[in-house]
Amino acid sequence: MQISMTVNGDEITREAEPRVLLVHFIREILGLTGTHWGCDTSNCGTCVVLMDGLPVKSCTVLAAMADGHDIRTVEGLATGGVLDPVQQGFMEEHGLQCGFCTPGMMLTARALLDRNPHPDDDQIREAISGQICRCTGYATIVRSVQWAAEHPAGAAATGEEVNA
Amino acid sequence: MARPDPPGWEDADSGRKRYKPVTLMMLTLMTMDLIDVREIRVPNARDGLVFAPGERPLGGGTWLFSEPQPGLTGLVDLTALGWDPIRRTEAGLEIAATCTIAELAALTPRESRDPRPGQAADALFWQCAGSLLASFKIWNVATVGGNVALALPAGPMTSLAASLDAVAVIWTADGGERRTPVAELVTGVRSTGLTHGEVLRSLEIPESSLAARTGFRRIALSPLGRAGTVVIGRVDSSGETVITVTGGTTRPHQLRFDEIPGERALADAVDGIDDWYSDAHGTPDWRRAMSLLFAEQLRGELEAT
Repeated sequence: MQISMTVNGDEITREAEPRVLLVHFIREILGLTGTHWGCDTSNCGTCVVLMDGLPVKSCTVLAAMADGHDIRTVEGLATGGVLDPVQQGFMEEHGLQCGFCTPGMMLTARALLDRNPHPDDDQIREAISGQICRCTGYATIVRSVQWAAEHPAGAAATGEEVNA
Repeated sequence: MARPDPPGWEDADSGRKRYKPVTLMMLTLMTMDLIDVREIRVPNARDGLVFAPGERPLGGGTWLFSEPQPGLTGLVDLTALGWDPIRRTEAGLEIAATCTIAELAALTPRESRDPRPGQAADALFWQCAGSLLASFKIWNVATVGGNVALALPAGPMTSLAASLDAVAVIWTADGGERRTPVAELVTGVRSTGLTHGEVLRSLEIPESSLAARTGFRRIALSPLGRAGTVVIGRVDSSGETVITVTGGTTRPHQLRFDEIPGERALADAVDGIDDWYSDAHGTPDWRRAMSLLFAEQLRGELEAT
């Protein structure tokens, strides 16, 4: 079937089997492998993307159900070659070790900060609930999100560009 | 629908079609449980809700991949029908089947999320949503109607709707409409009064229930386990008292009394339940004992407030 959606600001249309999950559509058909595929049972949260601005687990959403919706993946966080404050925060506060959970964590953080620019630690921990860091690096993830909240201009303020 | 050719390309030298190596994802797709699903239709009007054999309505779809779906060949996505998730009417609250758990949970004011004796019914939205063991990222997709229509013993939306005397509005295959109490719609484990071609359109919660005092109890064998039992008490302004037992039974049970019952009358009513569920999440005896304890706790709590 034909599936159309907006991904990171670009309108795309692709053919996919009806049963294809959004995570596979993003990774295999669009080639955006920043979205990770972990448990495939909606437990680990590494596949989190934003659908219409809300975090969803893309291994629990059929690609067909995202038809007509706005999807944002980790590739869409940096804009104009400048890191999103959340990405910068993860750099500054060492918010990642192996990096497997990082894309989902950062997208959830972005959704949180869009709605609550000044979250406390409990609110950050509630936001990332249902997302597992297998390195158990939650403390630095919380600090990274706090860094982003305290530096809403993020990387733009430092003039640092993405090496991509 | 014809299965599309696998991804590949024409080799410029040989003219033969070549294919990229089979990836882990492709292997998984070939072996997962939805290999028979050939079509997903997305109607935007009721006349598109005509179901072929093997087709089923699709709400959030979050449960689909959790177990085999024998006989499922097509899905009809209800989410494009544009139903208002929640409507307040003079009669009460109308919750669309496509309302997400997150939208429903948001009905509970933040200050009402913590359990307190004799709370207003609006606290139940949050409490029952919290009984759906999933992060809010699942709540953002899973639907109220989907949870009811699944008819799982621990379906928290069934607990909520039954406890508040919600009425299910059902679109029938002939273009008509019928209504039935949710407590009667769910008839057993994975069994409802819905017939093929019928669509759960909405749940109507009467104002009298929304204005009631309520109490909530739930237990599971582990902190994040499936509910062993969910007991919800409700006292309307008329004094009518309803103790609803779900989660530990194969179908909802409403124990009705003209006023807050005495201890013996309530215990007898709970003892009258004869379909305690048995699985890895609890034995029938334990579920019965916990339900009895919770019902008595709620009786005292509602009497005192």
